[in-house]
Amino acid sequence: MIRRQRWLGPAMFMPAVIYILALVGVPFVMAFLYSVSDAKVGSVSYHFVGLQNFVSILHNPAFLRALQDSFVFTITSQVLVLIGANILALSLKEAFPGRRFFRFLILLPWVAPVSIGSLGWKWILDSLYSVISWVLVRFHLVNQYDTPMWLGEPKLAMMSVILVHTWHMLPFATVILLAGLTAIPKDIPEAAAVDGAGFFRTTFQITIPMMLPIINVAVLFGAIFTFTDMTVIYILTRGGPYDTTQVIPTEAFFTGILGSDLAEGAAISIFLVPLLIIAAYIALRSAHRAEVT
Amino acid sequence: MSKHSGGKISRRKFVKLTGGAAVAAGMTSAFLFPARALAQQKTLKIVQWSHFVPGYDKWFDNVFTKEWGAKHNTNVIVDHIAIGEINARAAAEVAAQKGHDLFMFLAPPAAYEKQVIDHREIVEHVKHKHGSPIELAVRSTFNPKTKKFFAFSDSFVPDPGNYRQDLWSQVGFPNGPDTWHDLLVGAKRIKDDPKMGNPCGLGLSQELDTNMATRACLWSFGGSEQDEHGNPSLNSKNTIEAVKFFRDLYKQTETAEVFSWDPSSNNRGILSGKLSFVQNAISVTRSAEKDNPEMSKKIQLRPALKGPVRRIASEHVMSCYVVWNFAENKDGAKQFLADLIDEFGNAFKGSEFYNFPCFPKTVPNIKAQLANDPKAVPTNKYSVLKDAMSWSTNVGFPYYATAPIDEIFNTFVLPTMFAKAARDEMTPEDAVKAADTEVRRIFAKWK
Repeated sequence: MIRRQRWLGPAMFMPAVIYILALVGVPFVMAFLYSVSDAKVGSVSYHFVGLQNFVSILHNPAFLRALQDSFVFTITSQVLVLIGANILALSLKEAFPGRRFFRFLILLPWVAPVSIGSLGWKWILDSLYSVISWVLVRFHLVNQYDTPMWLGEPKLAMMSVILVHTWHMLPFATVILLAGLTAIPKDIPEAAAVDGAGFFRTTFQITIPMMLPIINVAVLFGAIFTFTDMTVIYILTRGGPYDTTQVIPTEAFFTGILGSDLAEGAAISIFLVPLLIIAAYIALRSAHRAEVT
Repeated sequence: MSKHSGGKISRRKFVKLTGGAAVAAGMTSAFLFPARALAQQKTLKIVQWSHFVPGYDKWFDNVFTKEWGAKHNTNVIVDHIAIGEINARAAAEVAAQKGHDLFMFLAPPAAYEKQVIDHREIVEHVKHKHGSPIELAVRSTFNPKTKKFFAFSDSFVPDPGNYRQDLWSQVGFPNGPDTWHDLLVGAKRIKDDPKMGNPCGLGLSQELDTNMATRACLWSFGGSEQDEHGNPSLNSKNTIEAVKFFRDLYKQTETAEVFSWDPSSNNRGILSGKLSFVQNAISVTRSAEKDNPEMSKKIQLRPALKGPVRRIASEHVMSCYVVWNFAENKDGAKQFLADLIDEFGNAFKGSEFYNFPCFPKTVPNIKAQLANDPKAVPTNKYSVLKDAMSWSTNVGFPYYATAPIDEIFNTFVLPTMFAKAARDEMTPEDAVKAADTEVRRIFAKWK
């Protein structure tokens, strides 16, 4: 019996280990090996070049711009996600007619494939057929010959990709926060209400502090996902106009796959790995704290 | 003896019986397991883009490959993928060392040279039969340093100007712009006219059509990414002049939408009636003929615009087939390409004049065909393309299409240079200098 138990645990988690090793571990090791080599897409041999690729990308203005944009894109979208998810979670916690339906609606952007959602947004923000511009023109808010170029002006383009990414990430964070909210014992806010605390005081001094570990998890997972995802930007702007929405994953793809320089593409893609490992460590610690709480 | 043979089977009878049984078994198995019978056929796997002109894929998939497969007892499998997936798919096949026997790129795949066979054998065979290929094809598929043909090109697509004749007639250019200067003058008049107001439609985005249009402008003004010996040469007076011109063109004739475009945006723009001029393949006019015949009559074609130095434009698409080193049916792939050239007259018709021959003798009556197209209004609309081979050139002009040129092309160094100057993010001089630094960095990596 004891012998069986000794094997049962490892046998149960072995599929997960194999999955992670095959689909995360091996590609990661390969990316690292590529990044210190001179590998091109058509290479037939491997030559170690040390940190040469990292030095090279630091001399590339497009990479430096992508690095800066990655932080702008990630931090801004996560702040918006955090605010939006808190508002939604607090709203959806309360009982009201049609609550289940609204919860379902809010989950849709997360459930739908991000590529399809982004394609929809591409048309919504199109220079010629934008429905938003059409509405603005109909309400005489903008000139029909001078409509906003949502994806053509650097600031508008960055704003657009951030909002679309926020739209996609919001349900994930909302569900996590909703779960955290429902876990708060009801007697605590009730006691606060008896003591005369209003909505804002209860929210900012009781609810949010109690949910902080959960919020940390949502934000950190969201941040890691945002740092490493390229779908929204690739579909909407391809890094344009003139590299002003380029982020690390798109720059790596353009250089490594389309530009055929695998080694430099790999160096770009793993440039932020140390930072992401620290973020992942913090995320796991936060998760542990949340569990203890 | 007879006793002996009566009790046992003779050798002759044994051979007859077993032979008959083997034939019967074979037939039965072929009847019962047709897939197994087919497996005795060879297989040729091809991957290529979904053609902009559906008629070409119809001819290629349903006529040519079927007939070729039957003739060579080969099961030909054709997979079509979107343009944007081609490079990623190629990288995946090379990494796996497995995939299609014939892989079609839409730009010279110089970076894959070590992963493909030398296609010289096919080039020589076809040359012997149909005469020499055009210079554009050679410069897009040949590495002069290693003397290897890293691809085989059957066709290229010209990149003419598409202009709205009804608008340009009103501003003094009834035949559209002939030079880059005409384009600036005429497009500005159209945009400034309160009754028209249509902007010009040359992109400044990170996409294919912008790559082609900005190169055409650069070369017409005498600039280039590399010189005739393959050394980086972007930072020149001519390049700065080209960038200054494009900045003026944007400011005086375009809107900020050109920074957000994908390859189909200018098509949509001119077909919807918004744009006065775009530089694109004839997919624009072919779409109009099918979906918007009235607009089709208004959109006419112009050859490459003439600049201060020359009249030139890049090929819009360069069809480059490669046979991987790891292809399972190399002989079939080579034969297929040679036979495709034999049938190129039909390919030209199937593509509705979109694919131009890299071996010109395969379409001997090309001028007559272009001059009389029943779908076009007027019927000689496509005659403009009769000299396309003289004003079309390869990416990497005036040298060959090399691996660093491919990376510069795919990382959009030139569109970014033109766009930054157009938006006054940088002066033309600084934009050229920054792009030149990047070009030299890329060249150094590929040495």
